[in-house]
Amino acid sequence: MHMKKLSAAAIGAVLAVTGVGAAAHHSFATEFDRNKPVRLEGKVVMFEWVNPHSWIHIDVNRGGRTERWRVEGGAPSALLRRGWNRNSLPAGTDIIVDAFQARDGDTRASAAEIRFPNGRELSLGNPTTEAVAAAARRAGN
Amino acid sequence: MRGIKTFSTAVAAAALMALGSVPASAEHHEGVERIDGKPNLNGVWQVMNNANWNLEPHSAAANPVADRLLGAIGAIPAGLGVIEGGEIPYKEEAMERLQQHRDNVIYHDPEAACYLPGIPRATYMDHPFQIIQGNNDDILMVYEYASANRVVHMEEVGIPPIDTWMGTSYGQWDGDTLVVTTLALGPGLVKLPAGEMVEGVTWLDRAGNYLTNHATVTERFTLAEGGNHIMYSATIDDPTIYTRPWTISMPIYRRMEENAQLLEFKCVPFSENLLYGDLIEEQGAD
Repeated sequence: MHMKKLSAAAIGAVLAVTGVGAAAHHSFATEFDRNKPVRLEGKVVMFEWVNPHSWIHIDVNRGGRTERWRVEGGAPSALLRRGWNRNSLPAGTDIIVDAFQARDGDTRASAAEIRFPNGRELSLGNPTTEAVAAAARRAGN
Repeated sequence: MRGIKTFSTAVAAAALMALGSVPASAEHHEGVERIDGKPNLNGVWQVMNNANWNLEPHSAAANPVADRLLGAIGAIPAGLGVIEGGEIPYKEEAMERLQQHRDNVIYHDPEAACYLPGIPRATYMDHPFQIIQGNNDDILMVYEYASANRVVHMEEVGIPPIDTWMGTSYGQWDGDTLVVTTLALGPGLVKLPAGEMVEGVTWLDRAGNYLTNHATVTERFTLAEGGNHIMYSATIDDPTIYTRPWTISMPIYRRMEENAQLLEFKCVPFSENLLYGDLIEEQGAD
C-alpha cells in the first residue's frame, strides 16, 4: 500500500518536473479510455524514441488555446520495423491524429496511426490501439 | 550437451588437419582457433585496468562523493591511462560540458543511473562481457553490466535509423582483425537525479569524458597468439568536440575459470535511491 502511494507520487512528480509522460508499460485499457476519442491537429514539437513506448509531442490549438499533447506510439523497435527513422517526423510537421484520451484527463492519448494533411497515413505500431480504433469504426458504421 | 562436445572436438580436429595441410599465410596468426577461417573470439572476456575510472592517467584518490560512507573501499585506484598520446584532444568549445560532468561525477554518470554504457565504454567496465560468434554470421556482444548487448552487423557501414544508447555497430574483418564501426551513439533526453531532464551524451568513463552522437568509434579486436587475450583498440573521431581522432588501446583477457559465465547485473533497482531518493524523502519514508 505504502509502495503504491509512493509510486503514484513519484510518477506525478516526474510529470510535474519534466512534462514528459514517462508512464510504465501498461495495457491500453488501464491508461486510455476507448469512449473518449479525440481528434488532434497540430505541429510536431518532439519525437521521443523511448521504451516501452515512443511519444509524439504536438502543439494543438483547441478552443483558442495551444495545448501540448503527447501521443503514444509503439516501441521504437516496432516503429523501426515499419520503416520509421530519425527523419520520419521532424519538428514542425503538421499531423492529424485520431486518438483515445488518457483516463486521468491529462493531455495524453493513444493512436493507431497519424495522418498528414495530404492524406498519407503512418501506422504507429500500437496493435491494441489499432484493434480499439477498428472496433470504434465498426460501431460507427 | 554430449553432442555439442563431440561436434566441437570434430571441428577442432578438422581445423587442426586443415592447418597442418596448408601453410598458414603470413597475415594469419598461428595457434588460434578459427571459425569459417576467422579467429574464434567466442568466450567471456574482461579488461584488467582502471580505464573506466578515467581514460587519462590519474592518481589514486578518495571517492569523490562517498568517501565518508565508503572510506578506502570506494576509493579510485590509480591508472597509467590508455590513450595513445596521453590525453583527449578536446576542442575549447567542448570544455564547458566536460566541466559540468566533472562537477557532477557519479551523480550525472549514466553508469550510476544504470543507463546503457555505450561504446567503447561497455568494453572496459568492471564487468565481463561475452562474444558470440557463429559461422559467417553477425556477431553478438553481451555485457554483464545492465544486461547490455549489441549486434555487430557483419556488413558495410550503413546509416543507422535513430540514435541509441549503444549505437549501431557494423563489422568487417581486416585480415585477422575484427574491425567494428559504431555510429549514432546518443541517449537523447536523459533523466538526472531529482528529475532534471538534459540532452544526454555518451560518457566514456567515471571522470566525465564524453563523445557526442556525431562520433565514429572504430574498434579493432585482434586475438593474440594462444587465444587467451585480445589486443583491443578504439579510435574515436568526433570533429564537433575533438581537434583530431584519438585512440585508446588495452588488452582484454579471457576469463579462464572452468565455469566462466556472465551473471546478472540488472542494476535498475540499485539506482532508484539515486534517481528518486528526493521523492522518497518528501514522503517522509524511512
